[in-house]
Amino acid sequence: MRINWTLITIPVLLALSFWLMDGLVNDWGRLSGGGQNLIVFINESLWPPDWGVIEPQAYPVCTAYPPFDFTCSTAWIGMTETIKIAFISTVFGTLVSLPISILASRNLNPIFITFPSRFILAACRSLPSIIWAIFFVILVGLGPLSGILAMTIYTVGYLGKLQYESIEGMSNIPLESADSMGLSKIEKAIGVVIPEQANNLISQTIFMFEYNVRHGTVIGIVGAGGIGYYINLYLKFLQYDKVLAYLIIIFSVVIIIDFISIYARSFFNDEGDINPPKWISVLIPQWVFESR
Amino acid sequence: MNSTVVDINELTIGYSKKNPLVEIPRLEISSGEIIAITGPSGVGKTTLIRTISGLVRPLKGKVSLFGKPFGVRPKRGSLGYIPQRLGLVRHASVLHNVKLGARAGNSNPYSIFPNKEIRDLCLDSIRRMGLSEKIYEPIRRLSGGQQRRVAIARTMAQSPKIILADEFLSELDEKTLEMVKTEVVEFVRKESSTLIVVEHDVSRAKSIADRMLVIDDGRVNPFISQITALEVKK
Repeated sequence: MRINWTLITIPVLLALSFWLMDGLVNDWGRLSGGGQNLIVFINESLWPPDWGVIEPQAYPVCTAYPPFDFTCSTAWIGMTETIKIAFISTVFGTLVSLPISILASRNLNPIFITFPSRFILAACRSLPSIIWAIFFVILVGLGPLSGILAMTIYTVGYLGKLQYESIEGMSNIPLESADSMGLSKIEKAIGVVIPEQANNLISQTIFMFEYNVRHGTVIGIVGAGGIGYYINLYLKFLQYDKVLAYLIIIFSVVIIIDFISIYARSFFNDEGDINPPKWISVLIPQWVFESR
Repeated sequence: MNSTVVDINELTIGYSKKNPLVEIPRLEISSGEIIAITGPSGVGKTTLIRTISGLVRPLKGKVSLFGKPFGVRPKRGSLGYIPQRLGLVRHASVLHNVKLGARAGNSNPYSIFPNKEIRDLCLDSIRRMGLSEKIYEPIRRLSGGQQRRVAIARTMAQSPKIILADEFLSELDEKTLEMVKTEVVEFVRKESSTLIVVEHDVSRAKSIADRMLVIDDGRVNPFISQITALEVKK
């Protein structure tokens, strides 16, 4: 009789998790009040979101006229700063990580080159961006510069790993042809690897930008600039309705970036000419709308 | 006198010592020759040209290119290889792919500036393969036959001394097949290159080859295929 390992593995893993959790949690009774606490928290502190965050600040005096005076609001100032930090660090991080990831790919280079390259990427990735941010706040002081440096280093480590894994997964045949022709390693990287992997590399870079936007909110908490600074401020004053408004704004920006990502990748699909995706496909899969 | 470009001596090829595919006691291929390797599928034709190209290590014996032993890379651009699955960069344009070959054959690896001569060479090869209308088209949008012609154009732009081609005439309609055959043979004669073709269709192989290497399916020795060289009478 053939054993269905999936049916055995999943219950075993679940049982193991619950057993480990039981060792960590000493009072299961605390779960019973969780739902009620959530309802009270939402009703009294969280809902409705306070959209005062998109109104212009009292100081400094806003020079923009309505309806553009929202550009003087903390939400606009914080969000644009976060997007700028994320954009700059994604560009710098990609430019640094791409050559390192090519060196780190085992299908392109021998082990004495791949190993040190992977070591560099792992070192950049081993600390979360918030720890890098604390480190750079100490080094260069409060503000966006420390945020840019922290996120650039993290981007190099994280994106570099995604890139070399996708390069290692590419078909060997174009590389063999290039080898037979006698193309140099640089020509092979620029002429074969990067164009062949364009779809994945673009998708990963946009994903990294989106990741940096989301994490820009976290690093702001330690004083590295962006919308996180304001979130931290209102968390300290327990003004959760304002925090919720900021979170909704971040969520909207992430969705817009996701849409841009889908659209950009549609140019590099194997199918060639395909219809541009619908914006709603960010939330609901595209095939739902395809009747054919 | 034509010099020997490929020299094979007591060669056994395959992917594992337990299961060798083909045994070749002695084979010399001279410059300017067109050789067709035929035989049933799975017999080791592709493995043979992959071994000649340096991609597969021989199990036993010697194979040398331009007098250099296996493992020593021949001069940049002197070897052109058209794999069965073509090895094109699918997301890049026809011109980009052909330029890779032209660069390998005609420029130093460190030149970074656009070169008009290389571009003209690429456009000429693309025109000879009848793809002038598709210069900027990405490979993934071309048909199988068109992709095959891009791979041939890439090799022609490279002008290698040895061309190894695996089933390079398949997926072509009759008219295009004749055009491609004429262009390739004319190119090989003009450049005094050596063309080694893997071709399962015997009549097609005969139509272009000076010499045919027939790999049998192990009738002499049931475990290892043998190779027979036949002159093609024109």
